[in-house]
Amino acid sequence: MTSKERVMAVINHQKPDRMPCFGANSTVTYEQMEKVQAFWPEGHEKAEPMAKQALAAYTMLGFDGVRAPFCQTFEAEALGCKVKSGGTEGIPGIAHPPIYTLDDTPVFPNDFLSRGRIPELLKAIAILKKEVGNDAVIVGGIIGPFTIAGSLIETFMLLRATFKAVDKIRPFLEVGQKAGAALANAMIDAGADIISVEDMTASPDLIAPKTYRDLEVEYQARVFETIKVPKILHICGNVDNIVEYMGQTGAEILSLEPKADPEVARRKCGPMMILMGGVDTATTLFMKDAETVKAGAEESIDLGIQILAPGCAVAPGSPLENLLAMVEVAKRH
Amino acid sequence: MKTLNDYSHIFKRYDLDGEKAGAAKAVSTDPALQKIAAFVVAGDADAIKAPVAEILKTKPPLDVINNALVAGMNEVSRLWDEGVYFLPQVILASDAMNVGIAECERAMGKSMERKAKVVTHTAEGDIHDIGQVIVNALLNANGFEVINLGADVPVDKVVSSVKQNKPIMVTGTALMTTTMTAFPKIAHELELAGIKIPFVCGGGAVSEEYVTGYELGVYGKEAAQAPGMAEDALHGESWESMRAKWNG
Repeated sequence: MTSKERVMAVINHQKPDRMPCFGANSTVTYEQMEKVQAFWPEGHEKAEPMAKQALAAYTMLGFDGVRAPFCQTFEAEALGCKVKSGGTEGIPGIAHPPIYTLDDTPVFPNDFLSRGRIPELLKAIAILKKEVGNDAVIVGGIIGPFTIAGSLIETFMLLRATFKAVDKIRPFLEVGQKAGAALANAMIDAGADIISVEDMTASPDLIAPKTYRDLEVEYQARVFETIKVPKILHICGNVDNIVEYMGQTGAEILSLEPKADPEVARRKCGPMMILMGGVDTATTLFMKDAETVKAGAEESIDLGIQILAPGCAVAPGSPLENLLAMVEVAKRH
Repeated sequence: MKTLNDYSHIFKRYDLDGEKAGAAKAVSTDPALQKIAAFVVAGDADAIKAPVAEILKTKPPLDVINNALVAGMNEVSRLWDEGVYFLPQVILASDAMNVGIAECERAMGKSMERKAKVVTHTAEGDIHDIGQVIVNALLNANGFEVINLGADVPVDKVVSSVKQNKPIMVTGTALMTTTMTAFPKIAHELELAGIKIPFVCGGGAVSEEYVTGYELGVYGKEAAQAPGMAEDALHGESWESMRAKWNG
């Protein structure tokens, strides 16, 4: 099987020749940048270096998918937020102060897709399509409505409002929803096979599970409704107490950190939900050796992980051999 | 043979609901103080000001701070530890406590006396200053002056704030794996400047092994440890002995 056939087999509930391995989040590291001679911050800003860095996941790591972009700021920037560079080592962030207050009415610009760095991202996806064709899956990353809302009004104000003024959040979630849906579909047109939604701010580490259930699920579901390719939903942290609702958004795949329990996800979401994850990016992938990565991955697979993946964005200083160890484990299954 | 090192999957209960039920306990037997504490527990910063002004007509400001405002915040911390409260409630409670303390300080005509300063920050590039909010609230509630640098703070800014404020301890939180490499840099810069205070680091992106891999680093597993650690630093414990005490 090609990498893409392998991934699609799992998504279609057929038997792959072996377990696929790729990232729902960024997998770029300094070693890969060195090898493909494309660096940050250019990889966050320009199509060519972005595509080169994404491609390294397939050509250098042997992952079954390539993924762009590598930060969480494309939609927010196109909605008017000011982005500050992460320099050569880090990822771009949103500059303070936020552009809106809770009392404002946010605007979704008609020319959203031609704003900020979105045109470069779309070009990068097109380059990836040309490079990998149908050999590997191309994963286009978007940001969830709640996290975009946090960029627009600042995460703290958003969190306060979840208890004090829920209705004032809705217009921001709506703009976030439109932004994610528009970007996802533009990436699909450019060649993306799968859309991965990162919604970090919807984590139970930040908001109450009932806020996720009663508010954010609806907006995530609206984004997914517009997307006709397979969808991954990634929420950071231990999501055991919201995973049931994550399963109701329309995502075919849930991306879990090892802090979350795949057995709980299986029990709450049923046999058809595809679970990806398995390797802790901070404590294992970045800090430990290949043997520890393999042991952790094997344990997660025992618990029900079907697509082996870093549990979150890969720390760019993570050693190459640890990423290669993941593919080795996937090949055993 | 595969050995099992982690029993959490075995002992985890599978029938827990998403949110635990749990009620706030009374923190004072004095109804007037309890009423103020209840505003903190409810996180009502808008409504707390008038009743605090009212109670100050009959009670000394320090009594109100310690036995209503701080006591209420400690109750919030307990509810957080038990999984009854979530981060937004802690932020709101902290807001309410601070409004109340400001009102008491106004009545005293001076700032409440603080034990010592602690500089707190979240790593550069990190938009989540989650753990830090709780650390700030708990340190504040336990009488420390928090120099809160907020989220997404560059290395230089942390170092210059420490030089300027001369805290007994500095903390760092990192929740994104892309940002934690700032910590060893900060530790290195502090060392170069001859500053040997404990640098307590925590958050989802770092581990004990990582934090204890650089000089000054003490791993903070939970926000609730922060006041105890600050007390140790206040009593002159070195970062080495704090590491030995708090870390494995």
